[in-house]
Amino acid sequence: MLIQTFNVGKIYKNGIAALTDINLNIDYGEFVFLTGASGAGKSTLIRLLFREEPPTAGQIMIGGRSVTRLTVPEMVRLRRNTGVVFQDFRLMEKGTVFDNVSFALKAVERPWAEIRRRVPEVLERVGLGGREHEHVMNLSGGEQQRVAVARAIINNPLILFADEPTGDLDPKTSGELMELFQEINSEGTTIVMATHDQNIVDRMQKRVLTLKSGYLIGDAVGGWQL
Amino acid sequence: MKLSSFRYIAPQCFKSMCHNGWMTAAAIITITISLFLCAFFWLLLLNVNANATDVEEDVRILAYVDFDVVPAERNEIEQTLGWIPGVENVLFVPKEQGINTLEERYGDQDLVESLGGVNPLPDMFSITAADTKQVSSIAEEVSRIEGIYEVRYGEGTVEKLLSLTDSLRKFGIVIMALLALCAVVLIAMAIRLTVQTRKKEIMVMKWVGATDAFIRWPFIMEGMILGLVGAGLALGLLLLLYSRVEIYASINLGFLNVLPLAEIWLSATGFTLGAGFLLGLIGSLFPVARFLDV
Repeated sequence: MLIQTFNVGKIYKNGIAALTDINLNIDYGEFVFLTGASGAGKSTLIRLLFREEPPTAGQIMIGGRSVTRLTVPEMVRLRRNTGVVFQDFRLMEKGTVFDNVSFALKAVERPWAEIRRRVPEVLERVGLGGREHEHVMNLSGGEQQRVAVARAIINNPLILFADEPTGDLDPKTSGELMELFQEINSEGTTIVMATHDQNIVDRMQKRVLTLKSGYLIGDAVGGWQL
Repeated sequence: MKLSSFRYIAPQCFKSMCHNGWMTAAAIITITISLFLCAFFWLLLLNVNANATDVEEDVRILAYVDFDVVPAERNEIEQTLGWIPGVENVLFVPKEQGINTLEERYGDQDLVESLGGVNPLPDMFSITAADTKQVSSIAEEVSRIEGIYEVRYGEGTVEKLLSLTDSLRKFGIVIMALLALCAVVLIAMAIRLTVQTRKKEIMVMKWVGATDAFIRWPFIMEGMILGLVGAGLALGLLLLLYSRVEIYASINLGFLNVLPLAEIWLSATGFTLGAGFLLGLIGSLFPVARFLDV
């Protein structure tokens, strides 16, 4: 199994229990939707999975290692094997497409020759070939999200976490982005995507984990379950 | 961390400094002023110490001879003085030479005439001790010799000078510590501002697996650059001012021993640049450790 959680819980400092007793298994190469209403705990679970914050109860295993017990170098290695995409893209507004995408390679100290070769390749893959010198703020929302996806996948991660990536996009652009995710998944990357978009979930017909008030209440392949 | 990463880190560092221009300027000015004053106090202490040492080494015992002592007795006294343990040199100063020295010092050519044609000074012996620590014990023995009516050796002068040096040193250390603290706080504020403006970038770095060192280096580098630029400016000002003071003192304050610029410039450079580098490093480590939860 690639991802396993055992009785995972998260209680914030203000006493709110965001997640309770979450047990799940995700295998290599799967495409999994985390669904539920706002406040169900989708984003919290994503944050725990990519180790943005620790759980207050239970264990999370990724690739057979407990993420709560990782040393700093192990944490760095884990993050180099995971990509993250957010609803609000989180791009560097002042930079170009190249600046934003190459940043992920610079941060992991890849050689310049590789950066110059890899960035155009990955931009081609997300449908932004030849646009590396454009300023990100001149791009549409969908294009900005593609830049964020390119940044997330340029290090060839094993897992791609996406937290409401279509939340700010229109239905057509959302559909195009899902096609891109489908492609990335078909090349072997495991995708865990939080969404509350019923249309997307129904159309994709993938495994759906349903959360409600912090509890995992459903785990089935198919469409929207609530 | 790979050396090639500085190709990314260095431009980031300069971009941040330009982006927060006012804060960068404020930090550099504060560091310049702080380090200038620190180095100034340090040089002042060096000079006071040098002068104190000069005075200490120049202590002589003056033994005044009774007016009724005849030359034969005087020779005996000179011989006795030479036998006292710890005496290095004994020099007889006749009263005529004494009055000449006084005339030279006060620029009065007719001092004897103005005193009614009588030289009121006694003959004296100028005694040098091999070790300044023995001066008081030698003076005590000299005063017991018959034919010597008074002994002087600048009692308390050295002690006063050393006490002044000590007070200056303590005051200087307190002032230098306060100024260094100001510089560290300003550097920390400048770096904190940079951390805040680059928060999103830092988050992305964490998500993609950047190492702690890679994330921290641009801020540490910024702190060190701020420290070194401030130190460089302070050093320039200091050396310029010192060269002027040296010239002024050599013309107008001949009694002062001002250490020559050629002798102090290297240590002043080391002190100022080293302090700037260190303050920059300390100032950058605090905010990075505090605000970057990596």
